[in-house]
Amino acid sequence: MSGRTPWPLLPFVAVVYLGLLAPLVVVIAVSFGPSAAFAFPPTGLTLRWFEAFFNSKPFVTSFFRVSLVVGLLAAVLATTLGTAAAIGLVRFRFTGREAFETFFLMPLLVPEILVGAALYLFYARLAIHASVLTLLWSHLIICTPYVIRSVTAGLVGMDPRLEEAAKSLGATPLQAFFKVTFPLLRSSLLSGAIFAFIISFSDINLALFLSGPESTSLPVHLFSQIQWEGDPTIAAASSLQIVIIGALILLVQRIFRLRLMV
Amino acid sequence: MGAAAALGDPRRALCALSVGAADRAVCQCGAVQCPRLSPTKVVLPELTFANYLKIFDPYYARLFGRTLRLGLVTTAICAVLGYPLAYFLARARPRVLALGLFLLIMPLMVSTVIRVFGWIVILGRKGMVNQALVAVGLEPVKLLYTETAVVIGLVNIFMPFMVLPLMASIERIPPSLEEAAQNLGASWPQMFLRTIMPLSLPGLISGCLLVYSVSISAFVTPALMGSPRERMVGQQIYDEVLVSFNWPSAASLAITLVLFTLLLLFAALRVTRRAGRLEIRQ
Repeated sequence: MSGRTPWPLLPFVAVVYLGLLAPLVVVIAVSFGPSAAFAFPPTGLTLRWFEAFFNSKPFVTSFFRVSLVVGLLAAVLATTLGTAAAIGLVRFRFTGREAFETFFLMPLLVPEILVGAALYLFYARLAIHASVLTLLWSHLIICTPYVIRSVTAGLVGMDPRLEEAAKSLGATPLQAFFKVTFPLLRSSLLSGAIFAFIISFSDINLALFLSGPESTSLPVHLFSQIQWEGDPTIAAASSLQIVIIGALILLVQRIFRLRLMV
Repeated sequence: MGAAAALGDPRRALCALSVGAADRAVCQCGAVQCPRLSPTKVVLPELTFANYLKIFDPYYARLFGRTLRLGLVTTAICAVLGYPLAYFLARARPRVLALGLFLLIMPLMVSTVIRVFGWIVILGRKGMVNQALVAVGLEPVKLLYTETAVVIGLVNIFMPFMVLPLMASIERIPPSLEEAAQNLGASWPQMFLRTIMPLSLPGLISGCLLVYSVSISAFVTPALMGSPRERMVGQQIYDEVLVSFNWPSAASLAITLVLFTLLLLFAALRVTRRAGRLEIRQ
């Protein structure tokens, strides 16, 4: 197929990809370099910035105690809520179904910084202090739509008669769901959960408003470190995030063979 | 990514924007007098439009002007760079497509801060570009903390939002149409301009809308890569919420930004309807 593509297109595509990947490549290279002044290309190979990362309490707390915990909890809760919502939307007909569907996907359409500001004002009004919980709750708002989309797509492609068959053979609705529907939906569920984790793990626009002193997420900590011109420990922490996210995307690609849920 | 599908039908997106509960909180707040003296009292009984009229002050007018202009430039560059990439991916073999999508989605999913950090290392005073310039005997140039840097950052970060809807749109055009155009004597560029472009217009519109709406509300990129004197609306909202506690003013800025997006969606709705008719006629 690509034989028809004219050749000048290929160098152009390569250059665009180079521009897309350049910042990530540079960050990873700098994290292994000995220079504290972010020299690129690195003059040697060292793990001292990774050592500095694991010895820095603020970095370790923001990475393992806040971002990773909030990300995993957000993934589990968003998958539970999102699956329930998707089943309701696909399997039942009720008034306002379309409105609900649009409503559930809405957080994807409103600019994130406005969602962050609105939630900040909302919590301020209720006099709720910023904590890991406010961060988790807010991340649920932007993570759940991804699960709903992914599970809805999986459900639409599934024959509802399979579940009916199970019920007519004597299964209770719950049994029919867990023994028939759930195994068939497993890959959509998993990819929804992975995306929910990634969205929460890399979010900064909401976290900037909703992280408290005890609940600074990794991106927010990186943000302030960059502002105060910290050392390549920033690059080491960033490299760890890049590797985790890269591996997860590869996993989703494996689950879906080829196409990501785009 | 998700928004791409929803934007495919701008009517639903419109309806979605107008029912937002979180937005309603902001709305209420925006129409209330500024509680400068008491940041804990969010809702005062008097309603006022002062917070909205303030947008016409020279400072805020410049702020909005700059934000909308940078959004336009970013969108235009994304469209020019993204079209060939989208075409390449839409017509690529499955293995190439899988790799291409991975390399497109992976950077999109990594936190914005990290990608901006990479650009700071590349463009900084002692960064890669300036080291290269010095190495060949030229003067170092100021790249970081300029509007150019902000546009480079925004284009890099939001490019996938342009490529994904465009790719989906181009995929739906049968390759036989391309062959027909070329058999009838069109050169490849002619074919691209007169067959692919008109037929992928809905994808282009969704892509432009997405890129424009996310870039006019950007915060991290202008905050870390831009000049403190040339700010964007996102930074102003952040400062008014968290630094100066001028919440009603921040809320009115936020609502104005949402209104811009709504207007764009309206415009897009009209254009896609026309494009839809065009498709039916063919």
